[in-house]
Amino acid sequence: MIRKNSMSFRIITRVLLITISLFVVIMVGYYYYTSNIIKESTRENAIQLAGNLAGKIEQVLQPMEKIPQMVASTMALGLFDPDSLLPVLDAIIMNNPTVYGSAIAFEPDFFPDKGTHHMLYAHREGEGTQSMVIGGEDYNYFYMDWYQIPAMFQSPYWSEPYYDEGAGNILMATYSVPFYCRRQGELRFAGIATVDLELDWLSDLVNEARIFDTGYAFMLSANGMAVTHPDRAMIMNKSIFSNAEEWNAPDLREVGRDLLKGNSRFREYHIPGRDKLWIFYRTLESNQWAINVVFPDREMFASLHRMNILLIVFIFAGLVLLTLIISGVVNRLAAPLTHFAESARIIAEGNFDAKLPEVKTDDEMKELHNAFSHMQEELAEYVVNLKEATAAKEKIESELRIARDIQLAMIPHTFPPFPDLPQIDLYAMLKSAKEVGGDLYDFFVMDKDKFCFAIGDVSGKGVPASLFMAMTRTLLRNIADKESSPAFIMETLNKSLAFNNESNMFVTFFLGVLDLRSGKLSYANAGHNPPVLIRAEDGLTVFEPAKSIPLGLFEDFIYTEASVDLKPGDILFAYTDGVSEAENEQEELFNEDRMLEVIGAHKNSGPRELIGFMEAAIETHVQSFPQSDDITMMTIAYNG
Amino acid sequence: MLLFFGGLSAGQAGNEKLVFAPHWLPQAQFAGYYVARDQGFYAEAGLDVEIIHPSAAVNAIHFLEDGRADVISLFLVSALEALRNGLDLVNIAQISQHSAIMFVSMKDSGIETLEDFEGKKVGVWMSGFREVPESLMRSRGIEVEWVPILSTVNLFLLGGLDVMTVMWYNEYNQLYLTGIDRDEMNTFFLADYGFNIPEDGLYVLEHTLEERPEDLRAFVEATLRGWEYASANREYAVQLVVDLMRKNHVSSNRAHQRWMLNRVLETHCVQEKGIRVSQLYPDDFHHTVSIIESTRNVAFPVQYQDFFKPVLPGIRKPQ
Repeated sequence: MIRKNSMSFRIITRVLLITISLFVVIMVGYYYYTSNIIKESTRENAIQLAGNLAGKIEQVLQPMEKIPQMVASTMALGLFDPDSLLPVLDAIIMNNPTVYGSAIAFEPDFFPDKGTHHMLYAHREGEGTQSMVIGGEDYNYFYMDWYQIPAMFQSPYWSEPYYDEGAGNILMATYSVPFYCRRQGELRFAGIATVDLELDWLSDLVNEARIFDTGYAFMLSANGMAVTHPDRAMIMNKSIFSNAEEWNAPDLREVGRDLLKGNSRFREYHIPGRDKLWIFYRTLESNQWAINVVFPDREMFASLHRMNILLIVFIFAGLVLLTLIISGVVNRLAAPLTHFAESARIIAEGNFDAKLPEVKTDDEMKELHNAFSHMQEELAEYVVNLKEATAAKEKIESELRIARDIQLAMIPHTFPPFPDLPQIDLYAMLKSAKEVGGDLYDFFVMDKDKFCFAIGDVSGKGVPASLFMAMTRTLLRNIADKESSPAFIMETLNKSLAFNNESNMFVTFFLGVLDLRSGKLSYANAGHNPPVLIRAEDGLTVFEPAKSIPLGLFEDFIYTEASVDLKPGDILFAYTDGVSEAENEQEELFNEDRMLEVIGAHKNSGPRELIGFMEAAIETHVQSFPQSDDITMMTIAYNG
Repeated sequence: MLLFFGGLSAGQAGNEKLVFAPHWLPQAQFAGYYVARDQGFYAEAGLDVEIIHPSAAVNAIHFLEDGRADVISLFLVSALEALRNGLDLVNIAQISQHSAIMFVSMKDSGIETLEDFEGKKVGVWMSGFREVPESLMRSRGIEVEWVPILSTVNLFLLGGLDVMTVMWYNEYNQLYLTGIDRDEMNTFFLADYGFNIPEDGLYVLEHTLEERPEDLRAFVEATLRGWEYASANREYAVQLVVDLMRKNHVSSNRAHQRWMLNRVLETHCVQEKGIRVSQLYPDDFHHTVSIIESTRNVAFPVQYQDFFKPVLPGIRKPQ
């Protein structure tokens, strides 16, 4: 199955999106274009169909129109005995199967001896005809449409269709032509000649038209009344306007108004609750009756809709096929990637010999394969180097750890160091920045009254500094074994260190010798931070800054010494610059002032506690910032 | 072109036979009678009522004269004319209370006031419709060319007439149903010009009233029931009328008959006259008589009590 975030999923969705959009555009265009073609061809069909119908109807109507016209021409020729015309009417009916009746009706009092009304009438009766003279109060024809209208307009008139009860209830229409007779030398309007035309054939003719499944044709009279309709109940009962009213279809009323104006059009209309319909209408030349052809929209476009469904099915099938093909191609192309990923995982686990997928093509995949294979070789080589380097480093680190142990073992670290010497109480600490450091301190008893102590800081750090420190400490012990003058010890120590000092290393050094009986402290300072004296009675005193240079620089430098008397309760605080220059993240130094503040705040504490407070204060200042220099502190309390 | 006479009868044995003729072909104008018969109101009243119809050319008055009908409906004017011509008829119930007669002109003809009718061709139906329009024109001193028409609006539609006299409930809507929009016509209701003459009423010969007063009373009561039922069940009444018209081969459709029923029921309203249904308002009677006197230019000394002999009591309704 295709995963949602896989490459083939993304490719397929994009391709499908574009393809579907393209199809939608094509379908819309195709639908619009084709439906227009269908509309146009339906319109042409409708025109032809209505034209054929009109032609067939006119073929019947137009010869009928000739009959009363002939009668009228005959009447104009001369005055006949009016009643002698009855056989003419009989002949007209017998010779024209669609003529039901025919009349010659005269103007009022045209024949003074025959009364106001005088009308000759013949109509079909069974196989023969029946002729009569009628007219009178019961049949006042002067005011009937078929007489009154052509008489008033002095022009022929097709009546509205009507059902004739006397003729067995058949649909008829009367065509009336005014005629004229010569009286006293001039042609006078004399009356109306008519034929009554049976219209049953009209329904048969119009209903014959086959239009799709449910389409149909129908005719409307000049008043919009149904003359023919597949639904017989409509005929002569309903007009296009009464239907528009009953169906609440203003569209239909609009159609009716337009066609009664004699317009011809192909248009759609809606009847609420029914499918859309199309209608074509035109009027007959003879009598302005309208031929209408109705096309149900659904059937008109049925073939298009079928075609659309077919197209959609094909397109859908095509899209499914396309999806399968794309997914197949993409999966085949991308298959090595999965293997590459697997290989990369194996390589990551350290197995640089992981098998790479086989790539037979010479494309981007091949490049990837080559790059992978190159990476494998490089990685293998790199790891071998790394292993060697790590081993060497580990060895050095292990040696450094041993060196540190040795270095730490060189300085005293048992506290209290002299339980049998009640005159002094002492504590010291050394914290190297690296495994081995260049700071040192030392103390020892010279004879039973003299106590020697020293603190120093070798230039540089690491192994060279630690070696120089070890050398300084060893020389100090050797020299102090024979001498007790701090200045002399310093000079001797300097000479030894400066001799052959090609690396130009040096050490700042403070050396003190305390007379345990008198409390006199003799000291010499070779460039070291002056210690702080905490007087039990007078508070803090910082020793004067060193006037001598550090040890190891000039072989013949003369060092001087000074002395100070300690009183019982006094405490000496000696330190290296790792304390005063301890840095935090903002590169701010701990500095001497802070240091003196801490000492001032805890001046009554013991040596161990004071160093503890100082350590805590430094840690608060430095936080987690890595230590950059060795930190060494030593406190000596003189108890007298 | 030939005519027909339709006859309808409930044909229930044992009941008093009564023949009624409305004054025109079947249509919703007479829905109340058809409904009364169809719902059996006449039969319940002990009557076997047959309904026969006249035609455009044959007046219902003929039916009354020659005894083919016992009761007919007529316009008030037509009835008074018939009385003046010597027919011994009386009004036993006045159904319509309002004039529905009106003139119509096409808007584009420019005929917008009655004065514009001067010298124009005005179509008018031949019987019973002429008196009131003519009287109105005479009262305003307008000379028109009256063109008698038998039954259709075709001459007007073809432009052969400038103005056509029509009934609000009938031909006015027929014009609409030949595609003329209502806003394309100017209308002139005669009632708006002081000629609100009531129309349909029920008439019998004087001797019929003397001989069969109970039958006639029952007939009028059942007829009014029929109208009430038609008013309450209009779609049923319309369908009943349309079916009847079909049976009589009269062109019909529901749209038109529905319009007609609604309008005709409006003319039955008695509210502002303060009388009971079926009563003839004396002022209407006198106005109509004066119209006939002025039209015919004769004295017509007919008394209200002699003409209107209601079979139902004429108690004034409380205002």
